[in-house]
Amino acid sequence: MIKKRPSFLLAAFLFLLLLSWGGVFYCSAQQGVAQVQTSTPQEKEEPEKIVGDPQDAKQKTGILVFVAWMWISVFVIVYFLRLKIKEADRLYRLRFYSAKKT
Amino acid sequence: MRKGIQSWLDERFGLTGITDFLTKKTVPLHKHTIWYYTGSAILLFFAIQVVTGFMLILYYKPTLEMANASVARIMTDVPLGWIIRSVHSWSASFMITFVFVHLLSIWIAKSYRRPRELTWMSGVLLLLISLLFGFTGYLLPWDDLSFSATKVGTDIPRAIPVVGAWVTRLLRGGDDVTGDTLTRFFGIHVCMLPVFLFLLLAIHIYLVQKQGMSLPLEAEGKQEKVKEIPFWPNFVFREMIVWLLLVGILFSVAIFFPPSLEKAADVMAPAPEGIKPEWYFLFLFQTLKIFPAHVLFISGEMLAVLLMIFAGVLFFFLPFFDNKPTGTKGKIITLLAYVFILYALVMSVWSLL
Repeated sequence: MIKKRPSFLLAAFLFLLLLSWGGVFYCSAQQGVAQVQTSTPQEKEEPEKIVGDPQDAKQKTGILVFVAWMWISVFVIVYFLRLKIKEADRLYRLRFYSAKKT
Repeated sequence: MRKGIQSWLDERFGLTGITDFLTKKTVPLHKHTIWYYTGSAILLFFAIQVVTGFMLILYYKPTLEMANASVARIMTDVPLGWIIRSVHSWSASFMITFVFVHLLSIWIAKSYRRPRELTWMSGVLLLLISLLFGFTGYLLPWDDLSFSATKVGTDIPRAIPVVGAWVTRLLRGGDDVTGDTLTRFFGIHVCMLPVFLFLLLAIHIYLVQKQGMSLPLEAEGKQEKVKEIPFWPNFVFREMIVWLLLVGILFSVAIFFPPSLEKAADVMAPAPEGIKPEWYFLFLFQTLKIFPAHVLFISGEMLAVLLMIFAGVLFFFLPFFDNKPTGTKGKIITLLAYVFILYALVMSVWSLL
């Protein structure tokens, strides 16, 4: 009997975990900046152009950490998916799927 | 527990039929298999568009006074708002890129031939809807650039004889680009186009499932059977790798190159210099620019617009012009695909110079 490996579930769990860590880190960085901004209310003129990317070092670091976590998560899942593909192809060559149907 | 839920759902929805179909469905495996991934990539980017669109709509206000300010608020005050806007904007570009790549790969591989004529035609209509999404969405930030570009864009149909002026008025909701145009574009962008897109997408996907994946010409001519893999799970796992990498690329590009927002458009101000449409309209924009004011007795703009419409109609009905039996190559039509790619690239680059 072929035993199913829980690698895909593990990969999905890892991805969510890594992504949520990155998200939490980034959100906390954002909140810190928002607090600083609200504590110094100043009248500002309407700028000519608004650029969305983070302006201060803390936010920039948060973004870099998030992107790094994201890519690590992607490569971890790609690694597990490649194992799953090899396994699925092997089972197909063994006619496992067609045997299951009958 | 899991089996219990599965059988409960199966009893009500009849899911076994779908899972049976997915396990029986096969995907040919050959050196051109990579092009099969472009279809699902389009779906992925469309799903991202829907999700980020839902998020943006919570804060966006489609009125003349508030449109620009609400986008500015999304970018500066809303937590992660700038990333969501950037992902929405970039995934639109990615989606249109993949729609073009998908259609061009089908054009070159001649997969539109019998019995896949309707699949091709629904695909061309989906390209049109994707471009309309881009066109209507471009105005929504209501800044100088988007306002002027929409003014130029909505003025183009005016060159069409008889109905041109009416089409322009219909698009603008009046003689000029105003708050009515903004509301109209917003309605088209978030209500009308999604309905048409979902309908066409359902037809397109049904036809793809019904006709099966097409084979490249050289594979169809061979006697031996082409290697195949099951759609589920073998092909889906492969697709998941592509999706993950694309999501990674999309987020990285969206984070490091977010779109900016100019100040709110002034309806009375003269048009700023260097008005450019979105990149996917650049080749059409440049084509209009290079036409002389008059060609013989008709205006150059009218001739250019009529030629574009004619080319679009030919493109739509391509399967009926190239309906040779499978295996024979319509070399001229394949050559036309390459000429189109070269033309679009050269014109787009030229318009940026």
